[in-house]
Parts: sequence; C-alpha cells; structure tokens
Amino acid sequence: MNHPLPDSSGQPQFTDLNRRSFLKTGLSGALFLGTVSVTAGLSGCATEPAGRLSAVGTRMDASYQFRFLNEDDIALFEALLPAMIGPGLPEQSQARNMAIAGTIERIDAGIHKFGPANQKELRQLFDLLNFGLTRVTVARVWSSWPNVTTAEADAFLERWRTSRIGLFNNGYIALTKISNVAFYGYRDFWHLSGYPGPPQYAVDALPQFQNA
Amino acid sequence: MSLTDRIARGLESGWNVTDGAHLTEHLTTEADVVVIGTGAGGGTTAEILARSGLSVILVEEGRLYYQKDFKMDEQTSYANLYQEGMSRVTRDGAIAILQGRCVGGSTTVNWTSSFRTPAPTLNYWADQFGLEELRPDAMAPWFDGREERHSMSPWQADPNVNNDILRQGCEKLGYSWQIIPRNVKGCWNLGYCGVGCPTNAKQGALMTTIPGALDNNARLFHSLRADRLVMKQDQIDHLEASAFADDGVTPTGIKVNLKARHFVVAASAIGSPGLLLRSEIPDPNQRVGKRSFIHPVNATVAQMPQRVDPYYGAPQSIYSDEFNFRNGVDGPVGYKLEVPPLHPGMSSGVIPGHGENQINNMAGLPHMQSTIALLRDGFHPDSPGGTVSLRDDGSPVLDYPVTDYLWTGIREAFHTMAEIQFAAGADKVRLMHLDSDWYTNWTDAKAAINQLPMAPHRVRLFTAHQMGGCAMGSNPQNSVVNGFGEHHQVSNLSVHDASIFPTSIGANPQLSVYALAARNSARLAQRLS
Repeated sequence: MNHPLPDSSGQPQFTDLNRRSFLKTGLSGALFLGTVSVTAGLSGCATEPAGRLSAVGTRMDASYQFRFLNEDDIALFEALLPAMIGPGLPEQSQARNMAIAGTIERIDAGIHKFGPANQKELRQLFDLLNFGLTRVTVARVWSSWPNVTTAEADAFLERWRTSRIGLFNNGYIALTKISNVAFYGYRDFWHLSGYPGPPQYAVDALPQFQNA
Repeated sequence: MSLTDRIARGLESGWNVTDGAHLTEHLTTEADVVVIGTGAGGGTTAEILARSGLSVILVEEGRLYYQKDFKMDEQTSYANLYQEGMSRVTRDGAIAILQGRCVGGSTTVNWTSSFRTPAPTLNYWADQFGLEELRPDAMAPWFDGREERHSMSPWQADPNVNNDILRQGCEKLGYSWQIIPRNVKGCWNLGYCGVGCPTNAKQGALMTTIPGALDNNARLFHSLRADRLVMKQDQIDHLEASAFADDGVTPTGIKVNLKARHFVVAASAIGSPGLLLRSEIPDPNQRVGKRSFIHPVNATVAQMPQRVDPYYGAPQSIYSDEFNFRNGVDGPVGYKLEVPPLHPGMSSGVIPGHGENQINNMAGLPHMQSTIALLRDGFHPDSPGGTVSLRDDGSPVLDYPVTDYLWTGIREAFHTMAEIQFAAGADKVRLMHLDSDWYTNWTDAKAAINQLPMAPHRVRLFTAHQMGGCAMGSNPQNSVVNGFGEHHQVSNLSVHDASIFPTSIGANPQLSVYALAARNSARLAQRLS
C-alpha cells in the first residue's frame, strides 16, 4: 500500500467524496454533508479565498490578503461575532465594524497556519453553515447570514453548545475557540480581561523590543 | 541575567544552518547520521553524536525561532511555534493537543517542569515489558547528567499566586505538595515560557543541545519536513524531505534527499509513528502507532478574592502527587495536580463560552486561578490508550477514545480540584465543562460534579504530553524498538523520543526524554564510531 504524502497546498479539496469528515461521523441527518463542499463549488458559491477585498463596502483593511476565508465565510463571521463577543465589541459603529473586520482578518491569519487537515474540516464546517439547505436543516438558521440578527446568531450558538450531539458541540468549540482567541488574544482587547500585557520593565530591557 | 543570544552568535560564527525556505534547487547530501526532529530527543541525540566525532544532519519541519522572535505575544507564538497553529486535536476533536513545531520542539514552548520518570513507572516497565535495564537505580546517573546539562533544580523563588493557591489548598486538606524543578538559568520569573522564552533563561534544546550539536559541526535543516524513509534491501538508504516557505506551512516544491549510515527518528509520539507508517517500515506485528498515550488533562477555574495575575510569574512551580500513585501503579487511574498559566488568548480558547457569559468569565482573569489534573493512562487493561494512523493525505492523526476507566478518574479529579480551590478560599469555581455553572460552595460543586455528564466534547480535555506509538520492549511481538531505542527489524534505525514509552509516565515528560535519549545516544555513538 502506498500512502500519499501530506498535501500541504492549503487548497480546499472538493473532489474527495469518501473522506472521513467533520460532520459525517455518527450523524445521520448530516450524511450528505460530505457533498456540501462539492455542491457549493458546483453551484457557484464563493469557494476561493477572498484575497484582497475592496475597502469600500467591505469595511476590511484593503491591504489584508485573505488566504482561507471566502466572502461567504466573512459574512458568516460578521453575523456570528456580535453574538460571540457580545458586549465586548465597541458600541460606536465605525469602531465596531473595525473590531469585527480586524478579528476576521486574524481568524483568517490563524487558520492559514492550521495546515491542510484542519483547514479541510473547517472548510466543511463553513460550507455546511453557508449552504442554504444545510444552514436551514442542520444549523436551523432560517435567514442567510447577512440577515441573521444577533439574537438569532446567539440562539444558534446556544443550540450547538447545549446539543447532546457531540458533533455540534465540536462545531461550537471550533467556532468559539478561533473567534475568542482572535479577539481576546489581541492587544486592543486585552483590557476586557484586565490583562495589562507583558511587564513593561521586561519590554524596556529586552533587545528584541528595541527599534521595533 | 544574560542577554547574550546563543543562537544569534552561533549563526554569526558560521554554524551550518540551512533554512529550507531559502533552497531554490533540489539537494542531495549525506552524513553519518540523520536525526529527524530537534526537540528533547533529537537535540540530545545530535549533540552526543556530534561530540563523539560523527557527522550529523538535523531535520526540523518547523522553523528556527529564537530570542528576536520571542515577544511575549500569544497570537504570533501559537501560529508559529505550535503544531497546526495550536489547532491540533484528536481525531474526533474532543482533546486539544498542545505540541511544539519549531527548532527545539516542545521544549521551546513548555512550562519548564522537569521531573524524573516516576520510580513506579520504571518498575512497571521492567515488570511488564522486560525493560529490566531501565529500573530507577540504573537510570539515576542519566537523570543526574541531564539535570546538570539542562540546569534543572527546584524553583527557588516564591511560587506565583496561581501556584501558591494549589499549595494552600493541599495544605488545608492535608494533601502532599512539592516544589517543581525547572530547567532555567537566570530566569526573570516573567511567565511567558509557553510563547518562547524571551530572556533565553529556559534551558530547553534550543539553548543547550542544539547549539552544542552545531558547535560540533552538525548541520541543521529547518523548515524541512521528513516525508519518507526509503529502504534499500533491509536497511534505510535515505530520507526524502520537502521544504516549506518562510510562512512555515506552504510547500515550495523543493525536495531534499539525505543519505546516512544510521537514522534516528525523534519526531514526537505523533510524528514518529506517522513517519514510520508513511515509510512502510517493516512492522510484522502491526505495532507502529498502537498504544499511543497522552496524559488527558481536565481543569477547573476559580475566582479568588485576592489578585492572582495568573499570566505572570513562573507558570508551574507547585505540584501534588497525592493522587498519582495512591491506588498503586495499576489500580484506578491516578493523576498529578498542577497549575497552568492563564493568558487572555489561551484562557478565552479553553474556557468554553460566548457572548455575555464569556466576557464575564474573561473579566475575572486577574482573579482567576486554574488547577489541572494530568491522568496517568496505560497502566491498566481498561486503558489501552489511542492509535496514531495516517489521514488520506498522509498526515498523522491521533485517535483517542476516552474509556470509562478514564471518565471515572476525570470525575474524581474534578472533585479533588474543586475541593482544593474552595479550601484555598475560592469565591466560586467552575469546571471546564460545557454544562458547568459557577458554584459558590463546595457542597453545590460536589453535587454538580456527581450529576454532570462525563462525555466527549462536553468535558473540555487537553494534553501537552504525547507518548508511545513506537513502544520499546524486549519482545518484538508487542513493541517496535528494544530498550535502547533500536528498531527490532531495521538495524540502521533508532527512535529517540517519547514515542518509545510503553505507557504514559505520570509526570511532564521532558526529562524522561532527555535521559533516555542521552543513554541511547551514548550507546549509538559507540556502535557507530
């Protein structure tokens, strides 16, 4: 038997129908999920990383190059983050949009380092949530993400958190973990956890912080 | 307080270090020995072999990061220094795996706890797996030697509040506690061991054995992944490896072939079985990847009346072995109690929650204390551990079913940890469990712990310790290598990392890996010279 070498291309694979997948294992209602990515690809959903988005209209930093998230994924996180972070987001609308956009960029940058295997699982999860049929039947979210209210997004997260189906718990953990680390782990939001940052005397004394 | 950077100086002095990202053409080269992996096992091996006059090539899939890169920042460190950008999990996603992926391996990011392999563990290995020559007395000189090499000694300064709360709780309840030996020299007591030591105080592979090997003319390739060992008749002929770009994850398409007389695999308890499986190394009894172990870790967090600042100070300085071997070596599962550091990114990722609840959890960080239990798996018929296998793309994955035997121990450990935190004065305690509330007294917590479902995903489980999968033993029927890490079937192949442990060990594993690698490398150097 010849094992293929790890594929580190980082490109989502849309052709492998038989793979063991994130949501296939043990969940009859999701048996067709392995095909969601394929269907999404064939039906012209956004499947390519979003690359550089125009700053106008997207609120994104136009210089940031998306490597993994596509435009649908970005819309998904724009809907989820207000529920995910809740009152931690700034109230003022421009600051709020910037905080959301920056968090989504850091989510993308983090996922870029996850490597192909976990990227593949996240691709399936995001496609499941973005593809209309599965969004409604599996996630039980009736509107498309740009039209989902914060209360609806919170209800979705709460359903997956409290579900007795381990795969939904796993999805909940995946979504909250990447969002929370990208948000609370970033210096602009350290104050929310009362974390003062690295000790200043060390920063002042250590060579790697000089001429930064 | 030394600000002299050993790596920057070495690079300047002309160390033979090749960044795979900079290679523009395929390359074939050779040495007496190729060592795959630069962590506790690979670094030790490379230094000892190079000092004995052998030519050595070190191969590391991660990149060379050192002081200039260690800026006490969680996000960049998790992305660059950890396997799968800190997203590594078991196959079903139920257990998060913290593991290094950089020069120095996990020793670059560990919390510096330095324990000898517990005597009951070594005796169990002798009794069960024919490893007579690893009895505590026989291993003692190797532990002595490595404790000196890595500057290991019990932490001299006061423990930080996070650790002191574990001490206080144990004192109140009459449980034993001890001070943790750490591998540091001139430590600033900052608290950032897990994101790369910013002061070069940590004496992991990066500050000790890797420079030692390079000073003795070893050659290091980093950003280069070992793909496959290629056999020629009954020997390994060469290693095929491929380079990553300077983001550490994008393949450049450049291939490197490394020929040698002998190959030492030290790519971790997930990476080493993975490499052997990909290479289809002879495995007549199908033992590679089997009996893979972790120390499954569960955790509780407490809100304390006093400030804890759990992000500052030596992350681990107090432990309790009260429950580790209490039921004998092979009874109901034992667990070691320790404390983790809590920085905001890590905390927000491991405390499950979202929205207002999560922001309230996080707002309590300066007063938060956490205790963890490390379960000692693999010593009982009902604890067979997990299996490393290959995904369709050839990458290794650990399947780790949590047995009822373990769940019983996890529930018991929740009890112990919550009791200790309340005894130390906690205002409230919650479990790292999706269904846990904050409990304001021990009676409520106890009742809840008895009720809560012990189930995958709902209980948040972690591990930073991967062991087994290329088990050592005297009997080739149930092991992969002998008691010296020498492969049973392939004479020019050794395994020098935690993958050779036949069980988990019941302690943080770095010193066990250093000591076994030193012992086995001394023998290998003799054999090859």
